[in-house]
This record gives sequence, C-alpha cells and structure tokens, in this order.
Amino acid sequence: MKLSVEICGVKFNNPVIAASGTFGFGREYDELYDISAAGGVSTKGLTPERREGNPVPRIAEGKSVILNAVGLQNPGVEEFIKNDLGWLSGKTRVIANVAGRTLEDYEGMCTRLDGLVDMIELNISCPNVRAGGMALGIKPENVEEVTRLCRGALRKTPLIVKLSPNVESIAANAQAAQRGGADCISLINTLTGMVIDIERRRPVLANNTGGVSGAGIMPIALRMVFEAAHAVSIPVIGMGGITCGRDAIAFMMAGARAVQVGTANFTDSYAIPRIVRETEEWLEAHGISDVNEIVDTLQLN
Amino acid sequence: MKELLATVKENRQIAEGIWAITLALPEPVGRIRGGQFANLSVGDGSFPLKRPLGVCSVRGDDITLCYQLKGEGTHMIAQAKAGDRLSVLLPLGNGFDLGDAEKVAVIGGGVGIFPLAAVVEEHAGKVQFYSYIGFRGRQYACLTDVFESGGRLTVATDDGSIGFKGNAVQAFLRDGKEIAPDLIISCGPPVMLRALKAALKDNGITTKCLVSLEERMGCGIGACLVCACKKSNGHNARVCKDGPVFDIDEVEL
Repeated sequence: MKLSVEICGVKFNNPVIAASGTFGFGREYDELYDISAAGGVSTKGLTPERREGNPVPRIAEGKSVILNAVGLQNPGVEEFIKNDLGWLSGKTRVIANVAGRTLEDYEGMCTRLDGLVDMIELNISCPNVRAGGMALGIKPENVEEVTRLCRGALRKTPLIVKLSPNVESIAANAQAAQRGGADCISLINTLTGMVIDIERRRPVLANNTGGVSGAGIMPIALRMVFEAAHAVSIPVIGMGGITCGRDAIAFMMAGARAVQVGTANFTDSYAIPRIVRETEEWLEAHGISDVNEIVDTLQLN
Repeated sequence: MKELLATVKENRQIAEGIWAITLALPEPVGRIRGGQFANLSVGDGSFPLKRPLGVCSVRGDDITLCYQLKGEGTHMIAQAKAGDRLSVLLPLGNGFDLGDAEKVAVIGGGVGIFPLAAVVEEHAGKVQFYSYIGFRGRQYACLTDVFESGGRLTVATDDGSIGFKGNAVQAFLRDGKEIAPDLIISCGPPVMLRALKAALKDNGITTKCLVSLEERMGCGIGACLVCACKKSNGHNARVCKDGPVFDIDEVEL
C-alpha cells in the first residue's frame, strides 16, 4: 500500500497532517504516541516575538463544534528554532505556520525560516494592521499582496497559503494566492462564530467571538475545498472537521492531495494514527493500492 | 498518561447537583497523584471536548471522578449507567506534591474539594491533615468522611446550616496560627483563592501554599494553549500541563 504523497517536491509518509494550533510543536502528543505516525505537523502559529494571547476563557463548545480564541500565544519564532525545530524535524515533516501584524512580519518570518522547515504555511486569518485591523485573508488583493511578498522572501522552502472561509468567494481567493506565487493552498481555516451563556447573558469566550472548527463544519469545508481545488492548478491541502478515515478520503476525492486534522485530536488523542489506519483500511477494502489514485476523483451529479 | 475506554462501575448523586462516577480502567496508567485530573468523554460525538474532572479517589485500577451538573455535557455524563464505556485520558497535570510536610492545612470550597479529597485519601495516616471545607449549604456537603479520616475537619457553610457559618478561608483563619501547618493546599472558586492569597498576606502567614486552578480546556495535555493562567512574571502557564497546582505566589488569581 502506498500512502505517501508528494506536495511541491516534499514527500510526506502519509497524507494526514496535524493542523496548526491543536498540536503545539508535537512534544505533548509524542508522550501519547510516536508522532512520526503523522505525515507532518503544522506548528502552532508563530510570530516574530513571543505572544501571550487572549484572556480566558479561550475555548467554548457548540453542537459538534468547538470555538477557540487563543490569540496566537506562542514563544516566538526564535525560541521555536532554538528549542523545538530540530526535535520535530527528526520526527516528521515540519510545516511552519506563521502569522503577523504587519506585512513586514510575514516577510521577515519567511526569510528567517527559509531552508529550515519543509514548508511554510501563511496564517492570514488574524487581524492585520495593513488591512485596517481586518484579516489579510479576506480581500483577494490583500491575499495576493502578502503571498507575493512572502514568495519573494523564499528561495528554498515551498509556500502554502492557508485560506479563510469567511470570504465572499473562496475560488477568487484561491486564485489570488496562486497569482501571488503560492506553491500550495490549504483550507479551511476556522469560521467565525459565537456561543452565548444565556444565564449570564454573555458570550462564553472572553474574546466574544472565536474560530469554529470540528465535525460540524465539514460539509462547508468540503464544498470550499472542492471549489478552490477546481479554481487553481497548485496543490490543495484540505481540512475542516475530519474525524475519521472516511472523512479524509472525502477531502481527497474533492481535490485535496493531503489533509490536516485539528479538533479531532481533542476528542480522541490518538485521532491521527487512527485516521491513517482507517484510510489505509478503506483503500485496501476498495482494492486501491495508492492513496494518490483517489485525489480529485469526485463525479458530480 | 494514556487514553483508554473505561467501564462505568457506578455513577450516582452524592449531594445536590454533585455526582461521583467510578470507572474501571482496563489497564494500569501508573501512579495517580492527588490533584491530578482526568479528561472524560461525554460519550456522545456531538460533544467534541472531553470534560476535565479532578480525580477524587483511586482504588487500584478503579478511579472516581466527581462533578457538578452544570451544562449539557455534565448532564450527559450523569446519564451514564454501570457497564457503559467512556473514553478517558489520564493522569493529567502535576498534582499536589506534599514534600516532607507533616502537618497540612487543607482549604477547599465547593467543587474544589474533589482533588483535595484524593490528596487526603492518599496520605491519610502518614500526614496530619487539618481540613477546612466550605459549602453553600448543608445540601451540598459531601465527602466529609474522607477529610475526617485524614485528621481534623471543620465544615463551613455560607448559610450556617451546618458547621462554621462563613467560608473555608475564614474558618482556617480562626485557628490557622494555632495549628501552624508546614504546608497549605487549596482548591476552590477564584474568589476563594483570591481571598486566601490576601488573607495569608494580611495575617503575615508565610507557610508555603499550593493552589489548584480550574480553566476551560482543549487538549488537556499542554498542546493547544487554551487554558492559560498568568504567572507573576507576566508570562502564561498552561493550567493543564504546568499545573493545575501552582504555588500561590507564582500565579495571578
């Protein structure tokens, strides 16, 4: 059985990657299982300087979904390079997820990480100075601009642009990323939502709103992955509510070359190795010997 | 630390709105220290988050977790019947380290008494405990036998329906100087912990004090950075992994 996939020349042992923000830098999950079982790890969002993030509560639950508003707490890119990168690289493929407040932040992060990690994933869903406090990921022109700037800063490492679903047209933003020079796109980032404690008449999250993820968003994510994948020629990494091997297969049929798994790690700490196993079992049961054969095989009604 | 499918042995109400669930673990998970917690699945896929519940008692491979009926998740857990299987991740967090303390003051309020009960159960007979346990009223009182077995117990109630009328911190202050503990351990609502911190300072009590914090959690193992608390140096700590037990001087409450 061939489970390995190649994206922008980077070989992943299997198509199941830990999604940014749910998996830290991998050390904690490695206490539960050898994380080399994951095809790769997209790191906690990195910023140029250490960030302490938002006030608590930072997490809430809805039906089949969670909401988070962590606010990019992270030790800063230098601490990551010094303390975690070497260890994580020895385990699996490393995708550095990067975020910033200004365009220069993104450019600087890419320059710093170029050649040190397997891929770089731009998180353009956080509020940004350049976009007047709005996320860079919302308007196609902003997506294209930040992508072009980052692409220009990279000599060795392929660039993934992670698309926000909170947009007018996911296809238009996917194309904007491609025009800006993205080597790959990943989607979807979280949808913006709110949960209210009616007894207190207050939102549960200290930040009032947060990013919605988990099984409940999967149909939306699948539709968007399908639309984006058919609007661009660069590879797509799909995510949004994957909890089992069958979910991963659906994303790949919709056009994703690989998938990311986030919230499911909270429900089942062993979700990633289980999803890899279930994907393999499904392929075997269907007489398919190479996972790449199912990519973009969806037939529309 | 392991995630296991545990079998429910017993699940019952022990005081008004307070339940205790006993789980048989299918295999050993190593030592579970008082103050550590478990992340218990609600048992329904539409609840993606496990509930972090303090371990209240450990008997071989059986563990008891206590919980307050609060939202839909805890109400679902209360539906679990003997023989049902629930996924549980444990042991989590650092727990209370009593070091070589011989006389320990225990100050607990409301649902904060559960992890403290596990400490008393674990060390009863080896350590002399002076427990000050506060409830809103008589109907919420539970686990008093556990605290009694570890030494002297003072129950406090807000409404005075049993024991000392007032809160656990006030009850402790009444005779705290006289018992001169080597260590204070505490868990309770934030307002109680803040009162304790202020009271220790105001009364010039310099005894080492460990507190266990509660926060909404995601992964429970330190990866997602959801359950942050502020340390006195301005940096964040992870309640689930660096805690939940901290020195009271080390964290902002």
